[in-house]
Amino acid sequence: MKFSEFIESIKIAFESLRSNVMRSILAMLGIMIGITVVVLMGWALNGLDNALEDTINLLGTDMLYVDKWDWAGGGSWESMRSRKNISIHQANDLAKQLTSAELAIPVSQKWGQNISYGEDKLAGISVTGTLSEYSLTPAGLVTEGRFFSQSEDRFSANVVVIGYGVSSVLFPNGDALGKTIKIGGHPFEVIGVIEKRGTMLMDFVDNQVFIPLTSHMGIYGASRSLSIAVKAGSEKKLDEVRMETIGHMRTIRNVQPGADNDFSINESQAFREQTATMRAAVWVTGLILTGISLLVGLIGIMNIMFVSVTERTKEIGIRKAIGARRSSILNQFIVESAFLCFAGSLIAFIFSSIVAFAISKASGVDFLKPYVPPEFVLYATILSVIFGMLAGIIPAYLASRLDPVEALRYE
Amino acid sequence: MQHSQNKNAIIEIEHIARVYTMGSEHVHALRDVSLNIYENEYIALMGPSGSGKSTLMNALGCLDTPNSGKYLFKGLDVRQMSDNDLAEIRNKEIGFVFQTFNLLARASALKNVELPLVYAGVPTNERRERAIEALKSVGLEERMHHKPNELSGGQRQRVAIARALVTKPAIILADEPTGNLDSKTGVEIMRLFEEIWRQGNTVILVTHEEDIAMHAHRIVRLRDGLIESDRVNPNPVTFVQAGSGVAHYL
Repeated sequence: MKFSEFIESIKIAFESLRSNVMRSILAMLGIMIGITVVVLMGWALNGLDNALEDTINLLGTDMLYVDKWDWAGGGSWESMRSRKNISIHQANDLAKQLTSAELAIPVSQKWGQNISYGEDKLAGISVTGTLSEYSLTPAGLVTEGRFFSQSEDRFSANVVVIGYGVSSVLFPNGDALGKTIKIGGHPFEVIGVIEKRGTMLMDFVDNQVFIPLTSHMGIYGASRSLSIAVKAGSEKKLDEVRMETIGHMRTIRNVQPGADNDFSINESQAFREQTATMRAAVWVTGLILTGISLLVGLIGIMNIMFVSVTERTKEIGIRKAIGARRSSILNQFIVESAFLCFAGSLIAFIFSSIVAFAISKASGVDFLKPYVPPEFVLYATILSVIFGMLAGIIPAYLASRLDPVEALRYE
Repeated sequence: MQHSQNKNAIIEIEHIARVYTMGSEHVHALRDVSLNIYENEYIALMGPSGSGKSTLMNALGCLDTPNSGKYLFKGLDVRQMSDNDLAEIRNKEIGFVFQTFNLLARASALKNVELPLVYAGVPTNERRERAIEALKSVGLEERMHHKPNELSGGQRQRVAIARALVTKPAIILADEPTGNLDSKTGVEIMRLFEEIWRQGNTVILVTHEEDIAMHAHRIVRLRDGLIESDRVNPNPVTFVQAGSGVAHYL
């Protein structure tokens, strides 16, 4: 097709769209929906990826957590419930025997507790008892004040480090340090505050308070199942540490050779896998929805092109009389139809980006940062142009085969 | 490929026939027509409706192909031509002027006149220049950016004529060019045709009106798909004063 003809076709396509705005929009609707789905899908995927990153940073890339429960929710709850508890003796044994890791710290968690400050009460708090070394793990980073010390550990001091969620509710003025809160009826002095660490995948971390393990046992008993936080020291050592940990735990817990572990090793990898499932679900759903709406869109565009060809039958006759070849007519209408799709996808991008932005502003949910990966934009645009061309082929072909004499007679 | 018998003949038609099938009926629009058209002729094709004059015009203009017979255009056999070749002839050698003007409504006069050149692949600047020149020759350069609905009937027809002239075609084919115009405007258009003819163009008018046909120098009358008569017009109507040597322009 000659370049001058191509430019002419684009101009005609633009004019055609402009003079029939309503009709063009209706025709483009399917495409616009398809593109919007693509945008939202990219947005959700991006949000998931961000949440994943944050969660991994929260747990630490070099951390393993030994627990009788599987944190990522794999395996049946029944089988895990029946597992033996992890006792403080087992935790101490592991700490002694583990050579490849930097730290192995016992952690005892009691969920759904009430704490209070004066008249204010807070429910659904998890009270965590652990050693002072927990402050060396990513989840134990204190931003205000300090974590408890080894001696406070040893002497069951009544000191507490509170999470962001607790601090912002009970001490909205940020004056938590030095105050006394009641945990399980017992008074504890606030010595530290942990910054906001919660993510979509692990949101409970902000509603936690940390007290020395011995104090915890004093309130809730010493026979609770513990988890053991193991810090490998570096990501590279993770495999080695994991193997050693599993080996020692099996021995410590008398697991028979050939039997499954009666405990779980939780690490950020599990969350990657969990997210991968979610990601795949979003992808597939998105792809199906996009496919359906683009198909609908294709039909809509094809329909409008048929109407357009019929309306312009006389014009086609004139063009042929003046010397337009069949290919010129064919190309003209294919360009028009591709342009219509392209315009539709452009409008859809702008519109859906605005909507995404508005939603994230209004809901204030953190992870929903509006962002469409550039590759998505490119693929979707190319796809919509190709779709447009496909939609236009049949009407364009019919237009090109019109008999000029008949066409000129058409009123 | 046939060689033409006559050196100046642009068009040589021998025994062409055109039959339309409408359901089970066969309509013999042209039965047996033979005709030569030479350079710089001014011809009128006349006949009542159903005589086949429109069919003959469509055949001459390469818009429609006869079922049988021979059609040589500048020595080339039209019936052997592909659709693309025919399109090229229509683009470069034939200038159509229609009764209903047939301009593109959404384009300016200038764009309308440029269109044949777009299909000929002429570059933008040259295209514009030639189109402006063509509009000048019909006296409409002042109006080149107007759309057809902003022009009078006579002006629209002049744009159509400019469009027909812009590729410097071998023949101008005009189908009832004054049919949609009032008599005064019609006269102006006929004056323009005469001017075009005087400039060396070959003009073929198709009409059923005697007054219009009388402007031509040769009148071919059709009836029932056959040529009834093909005669020189001894006293063609002209706008040039006899003997004055001065041509009255538009």
